[in-house]
Amino acid sequence: MSDNTASSAALPVLTVRDLKLHYFTSKGVVRALDGLSFDLLPGETIGLVGESGCGKTTTGVALLNMPSPPGRIVEGSIRIDGTEIVGLGDHELRRKVRWSKISMVFQGAMNCLTPVYTIRKLMRETYAEHFVGERIDAAAIEVLMRKYVTLVGLPEHVLGRYPHELSGGMKQRVVIAMALFLEPKVIVMDEPTTALDVIVQAQILNLIKRLKRELKLSYIFITHDLATEAEVADRILVMYAGKMAELGSNEEIFGPAGSRHGPLHPYTQKLLASTPLLRKKVSELAFIPGAPPDLIDPPAGCRFAPRCSFAKEKCRSVEPPVAEIENRHMVACWKAMEDPEYVRA
Amino acid sequence: MCALKMSPAMPERPGYFGYDDSNVILELRLLRKEFHVHRGRTIVKAVDGVSFQLHRGEILGLVGESGCGKTTTGKLIMKLIEPSSGAIIVDGEDRTRLPREREIEYRRHVQMIFQDPYASMNPHFKVKDVLEEPLLIHKIGRTRSERMDMVAEVMEKVKMSPASEYMDRHPHMLSGGQRQRIATARTLILKPQIIVADEPVSMIDLSTRAEILHLMKSIQREMELSFLYITHDISTARFFTDRIAVMYLGRIVEIGSQDEVIDHPIHPYTKALIAAVCEPVPGRVGIERELQVKGEIPSAAAIPAGCRFHPRCPFAAKECEELPEPELEDIGGGHLHACRRWKEI
Amino acid sequence: MNLRDSMESLRDFWAEFSKVKTGLVGLALLLAFVLLGIFGSFIVPFPGASSHWRDITFWQDNPQAAPPVWVNFFSATKGCPSTTLTKPTVNSQDEGNGVSLETFVFTYAYRYDLPPRDMVIRLKGTGQVPVSITVERPDGLSAEIYRDQLQLAEDDVQRVSVSRNCAQAVIEFVRGQNEDLASTMSPELIKPIGILFSKLDTHVSDSPTPVKGEYKITVTALILSSDFKLDKPAISISGYVSGLLGTDASKRDVFTGIIIGIRWALIIGILTSVVSVIAGVLLGIIAAYIGGAVDWLLTRLYELIYLLPVLPFLIVISAIFKPSIWTLITIICLFFWTGSFKTVYSMTLQIKEETFIEASRALGSSAWRIMLKHISPILLPYSFASMALSIPAIIVYEASVSLLGLGDATIVSWGQILEAALSQGAVINRLWWWVVPPGLMIALMGMSFAFLGTALDKILHPKLKTR
Repeated sequence: MSDNTASSAALPVLTVRDLKLHYFTSKGVVRALDGLSFDLLPGETIGLVGESGCGKTTTGVALLNMPSPPGRIVEGSIRIDGTEIVGLGDHELRRKVRWSKISMVFQGAMNCLTPVYTIRKLMRETYAEHFVGERIDAAAIEVLMRKYVTLVGLPEHVLGRYPHELSGGMKQRVVIAMALFLEPKVIVMDEPTTALDVIVQAQILNLIKRLKRELKLSYIFITHDLATEAEVADRILVMYAGKMAELGSNEEIFGPAGSRHGPLHPYTQKLLASTPLLRKKVSELAFIPGAPPDLIDPPAGCRFAPRCSFAKEKCRSVEPPVAEIENRHMVACWKAMEDPEYVRA
Repeated sequence: MCALKMSPAMPERPGYFGYDDSNVILELRLLRKEFHVHRGRTIVKAVDGVSFQLHRGEILGLVGESGCGKTTTGKLIMKLIEPSSGAIIVDGEDRTRLPREREIEYRRHVQMIFQDPYASMNPHFKVKDVLEEPLLIHKIGRTRSERMDMVAEVMEKVKMSPASEYMDRHPHMLSGGQRQRIATARTLILKPQIIVADEPVSMIDLSTRAEILHLMKSIQREMELSFLYITHDISTARFFTDRIAVMYLGRIVEIGSQDEVIDHPIHPYTKALIAAVCEPVPGRVGIERELQVKGEIPSAAAIPAGCRFHPRCPFAAKECEELPEPELEDIGGGHLHACRRWKEI
Repeated sequence: MNLRDSMESLRDFWAEFSKVKTGLVGLALLLAFVLLGIFGSFIVPFPGASSHWRDITFWQDNPQAAPPVWVNFFSATKGCPSTTLTKPTVNSQDEGNGVSLETFVFTYAYRYDLPPRDMVIRLKGTGQVPVSITVERPDGLSAEIYRDQLQLAEDDVQRVSVSRNCAQAVIEFVRGQNEDLASTMSPELIKPIGILFSKLDTHVSDSPTPVKGEYKITVTALILSSDFKLDKPAISISGYVSGLLGTDASKRDVFTGIIIGIRWALIIGILTSVVSVIAGVLLGIIAAYIGGAVDWLLTRLYELIYLLPVLPFLIVISAIFKPSIWTLITIICLFFWTGSFKTVYSMTLQIKEETFIEASRALGSSAWRIMLKHISPILLPYSFASMALSIPAIIVYEASVSLLGLGDATIVSWGQILEAALSQGAVINRLWWWVVPPGLMIALMGMSFAFLGTALDKILHPKLKTR
């Protein structure tokens, strides 16, 4: 499926087509990611959102081609800046792709900093593992590190500190600096603010927005929290049970439901309706009964059908393809595609 | 090892409780808890003079960031730890230090729902064993079948029906939401008066959160339970609670009805918290939040002099540091706050 | 936990266990041991041996220090194995006047190069019975080796041992064939049974040639009245070689001893390990959970005992007090509880911090309830592994004490067999069949429990998470 509408004049920096990542466990093959396609433009942030088990973290690690065993990319293509990375060997990935073209802030990374290394040593090690081209000398690395540490809002002396001497917010900034300083084009962030306090979370989100503006980077921002997504994402990719449910712009997903612009997929709608608002009093919060399907043996047809209030016969037997409804707004839902009376409510 | 201690004289009730106190089921007066770490060289004041009232049939939210002492307060109420000073008064009687027999009686009436629904149940126990345990401890139900009837009854109450289908399962065979229902059922089986819920839905998927909260609320209304709802997520607090208390660094800085506190916050910290919360609304992507707070939360071992929020408060003046810490001030309608300069801000 | 759940968890456990090959080997060996321990008394050639191990009369008919029968496979000269002749042809001849002549004819096929050590005819009956015993050789010669008037009573067994009682008669037999040869013989110096089975030439004493073929041993008894009788006699051939593992210097069948030893090894090993591990686990849980003074006391006790060397202690106690096996077991238990104590202690410290323990406390659980219902079930599987792993050492300790002659004389253990072997000169006399089997069995049983224990440990050891 190509993505060349009039509004996107630039070439995408990241192209994903039919990506499938399966885990081969003793209990069976878990189809954690079962066919995902999207494009990421330069300077754009796509928010990958969904609940536990939907495949968003799997997508994150897949984009760096580092599935944890027993996982394997079984199908699909990932192109970063024109380079196909599915099928590359580990050595090539480490030297040519990871951290130099695409880097990742892992979930809970701030708690995984080696406690016996100073920040300086940690960053130097990252450089040594992933540098591309000519290796630069220690003084040049130091300049680079200082630049990015300052960029994330930390004082330079942090480089000489140990992780346990830093607060949660500071550690997260360090991890972000480490993802940035080899100057990749795409950064994947997996729940970067979930473990942080509310105020620190807001500070980090501010930082991410500023970096985006100043460095013109492209982000993939993974979280389960729609509210956080609304803050940072230009486009939202809603995932359910290893597949894309909907991909729309910030305005389209969070726009007023029931209007022409609003979420189309019943899952997205329900998800929004179950997110509590703060500044407006909500008397009822929606919820979705049931649980996500077993990914070893997913149901036939639309994977959301068992829990969907609009489900029809067709939904239960034939899987809806991803269709473009209007202007880069994609949905995988029969009702959205076929029902002309469908008011987004 | 239980020395007979003379309980210290009950502290005087602070003068600001002009609220209708004929219906108070739980009252904390100047409750303090200090932890001695590093061989007693450092004193961490986790709870530093907390006073509030919980009325019969009310849901009070205790909101704050990590390290504010809300979980410690919960554990003090549950008598899982002993207070350093202060009083816990239930139904008009001082229950701060109780002999063993009275303590068991106390535990019948004050129950807790824990944050991690998996870790709070012994993985080797079946659901029916988990629910039977409180009955066995308190010697309720003479025969096993009598107890099993009570177990089935309480399972129906939390909508885990048919009970027979779930009774023989182990916790790991249930989803997070189901486990939390069982945890709730465990608190209800003794027909308590007060329930302390410590982040009960933070580890549950978004789409099931509302279902659990809705269930808890309907049970609470039906059984006229008094709830203390501890959370860092002020948005769910808005949805769920009747009144909200905001804690910072071991003290309550603002308390009042949830409409008042959220729509008309007085204390600068409350304002900062509310300003920092993200919401699922469109159009925020390029906008950095204005956070009216500087720096990070100080350690509870080194609480700032004067108003403990002053180092981070953008409105702080010299008097905020020099004069003693402000007490909670009633501005009418049960809305109390602890800010010296609120009229000028 | 009802039966169905236990069966299911057992099945899951078995699925994992069967993947560990050494564990299966250990289990197979253990099962073999247990079966032999239970049913051993039915298969040993000497039932009742366990209570008569130190009773000389029980083993009278056995050869002394005889090698096992299967050494014949490896030797050109075949030794005669022990055997019993029990089915004589009975003939009763009426002599008139109420007197009858009863003959019992035993046939014995002798195909061996080395003669037996002895031949014992056991006679039982009532009253005055004149008895004579004749041996008819395949070369046609016939020897009357015994003639006497026996005074028999109920429950009284008369033993006629060729080596002991028939020397003179054998010399007479030789004299009948070769006067000169007989004159060189004196009753104290000859081996009558050897002569009986060899060619009567000049080399009959130093390098005898065996006379192979069918021998007929006839016991003739004159029954003088109807009150008198002679029961069917039995003849034991005390072979040159004997039994599956030979005999020791006290004529005891070593194979029987080994089998009996299994029972005691299992009892001592399993009983001690179960008691000491349960004690260690309980004390570990109590010390870690309750803490405070109880913890301090138990940990100090642990540190004290843990450092004490077990063997010297056992030796001293055994030398001074000569205790029974039960006292020995008790003392070993008092040392061995420390083995599981520390691990259980650390694990309990971790488990103590789990949220479900906190939840149980919040419900009003007493400390005992938490320790028994929540903590012990988590540590129980580890206990099994611990038990299996401690058994080899226990068996060796018991054997060591017995080896030094300080063991309990009322039981039969491998250590004791070894002790007897070493003190009665088995090494000097090269009685390898006496020394090797008990040592081998100790090693084998230790090995089987070690395999089993390691496999269990691999599967059941609680990892850092309790899930």
